[in-house]
Amino acid sequence: MLSYILRRIVATLPVMAIVALFVFSLLYIAPGDPAVVIAGDQASPEDVERIRQSLGLDRPFLIQFGDWVWRILHGDLGTSIFTNLPVSAMIGQRLGPTLSLMTVTLLLTIVVAVPLGVVAAWKAGSLIDRAIMAFAVFGFSLPVFVVGYMLAYIFALELEWLPVQGYTPLSDGFWPWLENLILPAIALGCVYIALVARITRAAMLEVLQQDYIRTARAKGLGQGGILFIHALKNAAVPIVTVIGIGIALLIGGAVVTESVFAIPGLGRLTVDAILRRDYPVIQGIVLLFSFVYVLVNLLIDVIYTLVDPRIRY
Amino acid sequence: MDRRTVLKGLAGAGGLALTSGLAAPALAQGAAARTLRFVPQANLANFDPIWGTQYVVRNAAALVWDTLYGIDAQLQPQRQMVESEEVTDDGTTWTFKLRPGLKFHDGEPVLSKDVVASLSRWAARDPMGLMIKALQQELTAVDDRTFKWVLKQPFPKMLYALAKNNSPCSFIMPERIAQTDPFKQITDYVGSGPMKFAKSEWVPGAKSVFEKFADYVPRQEKASWLAGGKQILVDRVEWVVMPDPATAAAALQNGEVDWWENPIADLVPVLKKNKNISVDIGDPLGNIGSFRMNHLFPPFNDVRARRAVLMALSQEDYMRAIVGDDNALWKPLPGFFTPDTPLYSELGGEILKGKRDFDAAKKLLAESGYAGQPVTCLVAQDQPITKAQGDVTADLLKRLGMNVDFVATDWGTVGSRRAQKTPPGQGGWNMFHTWHAGADCINPAPYTAVRANGDKAWFGWPNSPGVEKEVTAWFDAKNLDEEKAAVGRLNKAALEDVVYAPTGFFLSYTAWRKNVAGITKGPLPFFWGVSKSA
Repeated sequence: MLSYILRRIVATLPVMAIVALFVFSLLYIAPGDPAVVIAGDQASPEDVERIRQSLGLDRPFLIQFGDWVWRILHGDLGTSIFTNLPVSAMIGQRLGPTLSLMTVTLLLTIVVAVPLGVVAAWKAGSLIDRAIMAFAVFGFSLPVFVVGYMLAYIFALELEWLPVQGYTPLSDGFWPWLENLILPAIALGCVYIALVARITRAAMLEVLQQDYIRTARAKGLGQGGILFIHALKNAAVPIVTVIGIGIALLIGGAVVTESVFAIPGLGRLTVDAILRRDYPVIQGIVLLFSFVYVLVNLLIDVIYTLVDPRIRY
Repeated sequence: MDRRTVLKGLAGAGGLALTSGLAAPALAQGAAARTLRFVPQANLANFDPIWGTQYVVRNAAALVWDTLYGIDAQLQPQRQMVESEEVTDDGTTWTFKLRPGLKFHDGEPVLSKDVVASLSRWAARDPMGLMIKALQQELTAVDDRTFKWVLKQPFPKMLYALAKNNSPCSFIMPERIAQTDPFKQITDYVGSGPMKFAKSEWVPGAKSVFEKFADYVPRQEKASWLAGGKQILVDRVEWVVMPDPATAAAALQNGEVDWWENPIADLVPVLKKNKNISVDIGDPLGNIGSFRMNHLFPPFNDVRARRAVLMALSQEDYMRAIVGDDNALWKPLPGFFTPDTPLYSELGGEILKGKRDFDAAKKLLAESGYAGQPVTCLVAQDQPITKAQGDVTADLLKRLGMNVDFVATDWGTVGSRRAQKTPPGQGGWNMFHTWHAGADCINPAPYTAVRANGDKAWFGWPNSPGVEKEVTAWFDAKNLDEEKAAVGRLNKAALEDVVYAPTGFFLSYTAWRKNVAGITKGPLPFFWGVSKSA
């Protein structure tokens, strides 16, 4: 297993290199110029050119790319064109809020969606099943920002139970940390909960028709034991897969959620950087996200072996 | 016990188990009252007011760095860090003396050498500074508190240049910082102003924190815009960046923030209904809407085509698209200068007044030789004001029978593409939309957009000797009457040649919680004199 994990990690390097080249090329050919944004409306073309030179943006593509790769290989993600701060520090500042939001959303999803899916499968065809699936369709259909505004209006403005915006680090206390994340996590989690609940139901339905479930029932095993010990474990592979794939949904959704709830996370940093053409920041974030995807995929593969002993690498 | 208390209790209990008692200390009521939470118009993405010229940087810099002079509410330059000044009879030698007791945030005194370095860096980037630099013989420190600026020719607008509020302002920094190449960003934010920048708490794009500088020595006069006694009445000012206006509105209603610089017009009615919130016009100098036509290429290289568009455009359409139905927020503008300021003129403005004449406009357009070629119209969709104007223009041009190539993109792309002097079919453009702060349009000095000096002019590169002649006349004017006369003629010439198309004058609101006092109207948010009660 260890050698498999190592091989997978080594195999990610060319993937990340290709992603890096792609991203760098894309930014190079994209319209827009950070020097123009920096110089402002009053600047002359000469001023803009001097800023371009001072930022090294006037150098040929291959030199800029080579320089960037060289720095990456030395663990240096570069410096933001706009803030003059190290990209790694900026990402570090923003990682906590995004990770917190994703963690709470993931936990919420697992806690809510998996039991909903199990119950729906157990009561397949019943009113409960139809209600759960209707909820799933509803959750899947509503855009994150609509849910976000609705939640903020009800729970922050009308009821005044929770804050409408911001982020407090966990080091400042659990409740201050959590209270800022509840509404965004629900808004972000709606789609995700719907997706996982549907997949869980489908996977469970398939498993519940297997012979060994009938055997378990025949042996007099209780419903809870059948559902959560025998069936759920065997239905776990597609559920784990969809949870893993859903990380991509979470990252995409986090951009909107962080804006709606003014959370200073990576999503907002990405949008700001793209609008300003802050190339080093965009490149750093894309590399990070690529790495996360690769890591998540690897993690899913490892989890497969834990939930299904028949899988070997 | 309310629901929130229950939730807090439950989560707190769970949290204790998970975090071994990492409970947060409650922010004391007094401390909360000493912190003013402000939602700025944009993200403070960098913090060098000379290197970058965004208004938001200027606004933050006005807290951290002081200026030698400051413009007041009557648009007059007043002494600020300067105690006195002398100018020789021939107007070529200015000698300035600093106020005693001025200190930087690191405790060092503000000396003439700091001022000389700061003015040198500013003059390399500012349009008026560049004019002074072109006349400069020497800029030297005479002693610790005295410095001298010797010019080859008089520059009558010297004090205005040092006091003006448009970017970049001549902020005074320590010499070691001011010696930074003006085209490279500073990284040390030691200031001379009433508040210190808390760099360690800066999260670009999210939060910027300013702390009261205890050793700042305010002037004795009453504060007036950038002039007078800058008394800071709170301990901290936190700028909370909120990209979503609905969130900012909700946060203000909830009391999570205290002051929102520029609420969008759509949300103002909601804020006005809230008994805890005050809403008023923020900047009385407002903004001037604009679209610029490219004078280099057909069809707008022909003045008849430009005038045809002016004859047909309805400023009311533009203004309603920007501000909605609130009539208090806009007024027609048959000219280029800011209404209700001393130099405002409507001379030559008939073309923008009265009923719109589409038939005459179409006839004039045909005379210009326009034969249906595409007109590339750049519109930044991520800026509501430019997007609204772009939609109105597209409709206007279509009604005039023009073939509109509507390029809807982001501001980064518009900002870059508008600098292209190539023909529209080869990456260039025919028109783009923007707006100008009214504070920058009170006279020709900061008003880059009205200049018409061909290749050196702003995007669109208008060439109008008549306009340029009157700009020079304004700079040489010896009194207000001469200034008014020059600007009147300038306005007329600029409308005749259609330097650009003014789409109207519009204002915007600012909103704050009623426990905040001392907010004044002005071209930027002034934090001196602002207090907050619990």
